[in-house]
Amino acid sequence: MRDFVWFIPLLPLASSVLLMIASSRLTRRSVALLGVGSVGLAAVLTGAVALEFLSDSTPVEVTLWTWMKIDSLAPRISFYIDGLTLVMMCVITGVGFLIHLFSSEFMQDDDSYARYFAYLNMFIAAMLILVLADNLLLLYLGWEGVGVCSYLLVGFWYRDSANGRAARKAFIVTRIGDTAMLIGLLLLLTELGTLNIRTLMQVASEQWSIGDSLPTIACLLLLGGAIGKSAQFPLHTWLPDAMAGPTPVSALIHAATMVTAGVYLIARTHDLFLLSPSAMHTVAFIGIATSLMAAGTALVQSDIKRILAYSTISQIGYMFLALGVGAWTAGVFHLMTHAFFKALLFLGSGAIIHCLHHEHNIFKMGGLRTRMPITFWSFLIGSAALAALPMTAGFFSKDLILLQAYQRPDFGPWLWGAGLLGALITAIYSFRLVFIVFFGDAKTEPDREIGWQMALPLTVLCALSIIGGYFSLPLADVFPLVNAEHPPHWVEIISISVPLLGVFLAYIGFYGQRPRIDSWTKTPLVQRVGQFLRSGWRLDEVFDRIAVKPYYNLANALQNEPIDRFYEAIVRLNQAIHRHLSATQSGRMRWYITSMMVGLIATLGVAMKIAPGAI
Amino acid sequence: MNSDQLLVLSPIISLSLTALILMIQASIKRDHRIAWWISTLGLLTTLLSIYSASNFSQDVGPLLKVDAWGLWFSALLIFCALITLALSRDIFHTQADTKEEYYLLLILSTLGAVVLVQAAHTASLLLGMELMGIALYAMIAFPKSGDLPLEAAVKYLVLSACASAMLLFGFALLYGATGDLSFAGMGAKAASGYLNNPLLVLAGAAIVLAGMGFKLSLVPFHMWTPDVYQGAPTAVTTFLATLSKGAMFVAMVRLILDGQLYRYESLMNALSVVAVASMLVGNWLALRQQQIKRLIAYSSTAHFGYLLVAIIALPHLGDTQQLGRAAISFYLVAYIVTTLAALTVIANVGGEEDSDMQAFDGLFWRHPAQAITLAVAMLSFAGIPLTAGFMGKFYLITLTLNAQLWLLLGTLMIGSAIAIYYYLRVIFTMSAEPHQLNKGSPTVLGWRNPVALLLMLAVLAIGSWPQPLIDLIGRL
Amino acid sequence: MSSPDAEIWPLAVFTLMVLVLVITMLLMSWLLGQRRREDATNEPFESGIVSVGNSQIRISVEFYLVAIFFVIFDLETVFIFAWAVAFFELGWHGYIAMLIFIGVLTVALVYEWRNGALDWGSKVRVGLKEAQTLEAQQATHL
Repeated sequence: MRDFVWFIPLLPLASSVLLMIASSRLTRRSVALLGVGSVGLAAVLTGAVALEFLSDSTPVEVTLWTWMKIDSLAPRISFYIDGLTLVMMCVITGVGFLIHLFSSEFMQDDDSYARYFAYLNMFIAAMLILVLADNLLLLYLGWEGVGVCSYLLVGFWYRDSANGRAARKAFIVTRIGDTAMLIGLLLLLTELGTLNIRTLMQVASEQWSIGDSLPTIACLLLLGGAIGKSAQFPLHTWLPDAMAGPTPVSALIHAATMVTAGVYLIARTHDLFLLSPSAMHTVAFIGIATSLMAAGTALVQSDIKRILAYSTISQIGYMFLALGVGAWTAGVFHLMTHAFFKALLFLGSGAIIHCLHHEHNIFKMGGLRTRMPITFWSFLIGSAALAALPMTAGFFSKDLILLQAYQRPDFGPWLWGAGLLGALITAIYSFRLVFIVFFGDAKTEPDREIGWQMALPLTVLCALSIIGGYFSLPLADVFPLVNAEHPPHWVEIISISVPLLGVFLAYIGFYGQRPRIDSWTKTPLVQRVGQFLRSGWRLDEVFDRIAVKPYYNLANALQNEPIDRFYEAIVRLNQAIHRHLSATQSGRMRWYITSMMVGLIATLGVAMKIAPGAI
Repeated sequence: MNSDQLLVLSPIISLSLTALILMIQASIKRDHRIAWWISTLGLLTTLLSIYSASNFSQDVGPLLKVDAWGLWFSALLIFCALITLALSRDIFHTQADTKEEYYLLLILSTLGAVVLVQAAHTASLLLGMELMGIALYAMIAFPKSGDLPLEAAVKYLVLSACASAMLLFGFALLYGATGDLSFAGMGAKAASGYLNNPLLVLAGAAIVLAGMGFKLSLVPFHMWTPDVYQGAPTAVTTFLATLSKGAMFVAMVRLILDGQLYRYESLMNALSVVAVASMLVGNWLALRQQQIKRLIAYSSTAHFGYLLVAIIALPHLGDTQQLGRAAISFYLVAYIVTTLAALTVIANVGGEEDSDMQAFDGLFWRHPAQAITLAVAMLSFAGIPLTAGFMGKFYLITLTLNAQLWLLLGTLMIGSAIAIYYYLRVIFTMSAEPHQLNKGSPTVLGWRNPVALLLMLAVLAIGSWPQPLIDLIGRL
Repeated sequence: MSSPDAEIWPLAVFTLMVLVLVITMLLMSWLLGQRRREDATNEPFESGIVSVGNSQIRISVEFYLVAIFFVIFDLETVFIFAWAVAFFELGWHGYIAMLIFIGVLTVALVYEWRNGALDWGSKVRVGLKEAQTLEAQQATHL
């Protein structure tokens, strides 16, 4: 079974190619069948591999293709499957399949139905390659592949130029991180002489000792790639704008899978990070800072998708916190549960947007509890999981992260406290969303009820968001053991009660006609803070000032100036040489013979003039 | 002569018999179709005989050296001849009244090429070269209409005669210095001859290499190439570009290796000058060329310049000589297959003589299969990854790096950079809007599509899954 | 280092001498020769007789064919002669080789014959439908 694992990425890839080639000849029905079916089949295959893995959990390596073998170089495409890969694959194909199914209804009125599924399938294939890769080069291929697909899908409705701008922003900002990552890869290659992940980790632990500067540099460069892709501070600004894409795309790429690639990368190279405590600290601090910042911003947004986007950034911040404190399993666990409930929330918001004439503003919704019951229940369950209310999947994973952060020596309790604050804000903003959208007066009437292709994924994800916390992940062989000392009881109790407090605050503030909070928000100070938060801590502006504007100015200055001249000169020189040489092709035979004779004499001259000696 | 020797000579015997049968057929009953089938069967039989001979390897008399390397290239040359046959099938259907002789000439020329790649002696080298050449002159001038083929044939004839004279004179000087005419004998005795009279050895070798440089159209012996490529019928151009040049290059490698010419530093310096000039001038000349056959001609000059780099690198390699031979073989195979693919499309689309770039615009929309094949061939020429040309160039660059020949490496890079411009130009032309004149596009005969596609697949296969070929070449 | 240089200088002297000789000869004839320009000065001189007609006349291609035949069969006798001298030393081996050689030549001769290379004037080629139909047409016209 495992020998056929290459089928799993191949299926969506083949379907994508097919859709691109034959898009005009396929009916909508067959497009949907192909697009959804290929991912469904991949999910079934993944399930089979996972079942086999449960009985025999030795990691497998599958070499598909050695490109060439010249001298010592032998680039090859090979996959490596262990528990971590398998968890990621299950998330990608499972959640991916549900989102594909949802899309088949969500996008049914769109003109470019086939193009949409072609991109989406290609994304699944690239993401699978990313997690299956056994060397960093192949991983980088998948990494860039998902970046391209994200670009294409964010700008899917390309007729609106704002969408194109958002797509470019997403691509360029992540590229900044990718460049750092590429430098990191090259550094590892030159220093350690290999890119195969396992060999690399082994060689690194042998060659470097804890606290050396080289592993720190390499880790920070890899981290650069990770924070770009996973939208962490300060490269997170692209994610809220990326909500310009279709909502299922946001669910798949910008919530469940692609944005967690950074988490995966760090988890995959954890041996390297263990060599550098300072890099680990950086990861933890970036994580907790991003988490708080984004949560604060989510509190005041009014666009339903932007709220979810900031909440995604915040939740990935928790995963980074987990990685930073060495709670690898907890981080990956939260990755999985977050994929379930965030996909659920995005799909729920997609259903609302679908039924409400593409309305994004939450203040124009309201009272949807009775009108869209399925959506309401799924949103409620998703929000509960996001707020980490007890007995939901999010509770288990977030609790694990916070407790392990607490056990961290030195500043562990501080991280724990900050994390709790974040959890409180998370609970407030998620239930603010629920109360405003689903309770109160109806402001916009839905024009339809969702069909089974939308309802089924929502139901399944609801179930997963509840029972997902009871899954035990096969990660014991992948990560080193963490000390399992139990924290004091009061820590646990506080951890459990804080989200409940948040829900309660949200209830006070936002349930009903909002009388209690309105008077408070009118004060100028709160207004200004709200404005500041709403703009995403003005980071876009800052970047605009320090990076984009100067770059534009520089580009303007260089537009027709010195550097181009140099290249133009090369072009002109070559063209001039071409002209003069062409003149020698006169077609006259005696000239040809003259040239031959001159050549002969020159050859003779070189061969005879310099005093020769046998080598 | 024992039976083993007869077996290893069987490719040559088979080709000769095919030629005789064709002559008899022409004198009994002329028929274009029958002549075509006889030639095809003859070439296929020869391929079979090469396969059966490949288990043996030995010298046959003083003249020929049949080894796995030579047999492999013989098979490749026969393959080129088969493709040429496939392209020729309907070219002369309407034109000449004595078209059967064309196949006779083709077989004779192939025979000459096979002798050339197995030559171990100056006599057999000359014999093979002249047999190949003389048949080729007639093939170039075969269409009776138009002045271009005739002009091309006369130019090639006169200039070839000049080059042959150079070759002969060079051999005479070498004979004077060493008293031997076989490659190995010359190599063994050249060292003492060199002590007596270094100039004689060097001058002889330099003149010989110059004469061979003409056939390979290296700068400054390249002037004939575009005129002949353009003037000849495209099928014959294919034949000339792949079979004739490939055979000559193999002979040159043999002469330099067996004759131990690589030991003379100044000689290698002279070759370096020729290589640098070829890489630069060839690419520069092709830069804005509008005739696609002329473009291929100039690019062939550059490509043989690249190949020459591999020869120059050989003495610097020390214990990795095997890599050098592998690089030469691989690049040659890649180049030949790519050229076959490109010229097949040109023959299919561009018609016989007219090969102006304009005939190719919008080809992607008119004949997608042909256009993709040509695009793949151009990418392979340019050395873009996943094509055969990339692997070849990768080999060459690895080799040059190992040999630490920085000047040649730099020139190779610059040449490749220039080359990308005109290769991509062809692809851009094909993707442009079809020109008004090309709206009513010529039809490509049904069975020619598979030939082009087969060659395209070969180019892609060698580039993306090269390991079998690398292993095969490593064993030679 | 020194030996090639030492051997180049005779060549250089020789080249120089050739140049000097040629220049001297041209210079001498220019200095000593008469300079006159009349009608007959530039006419070709052929035993005092004024030449008539054009040198660019057409000669039938058959002459070349015959010349080529002569060369081919002349060379054949050279090979056969060499073999005949060593007939007994070469034995059956040589005999068979010579048979093959003559056989090939015979095939070539048959080919040439059938293609009308031995006919003078009008050619009759085998299996040449166009020619035959052309002849038939001409016959009906006559």
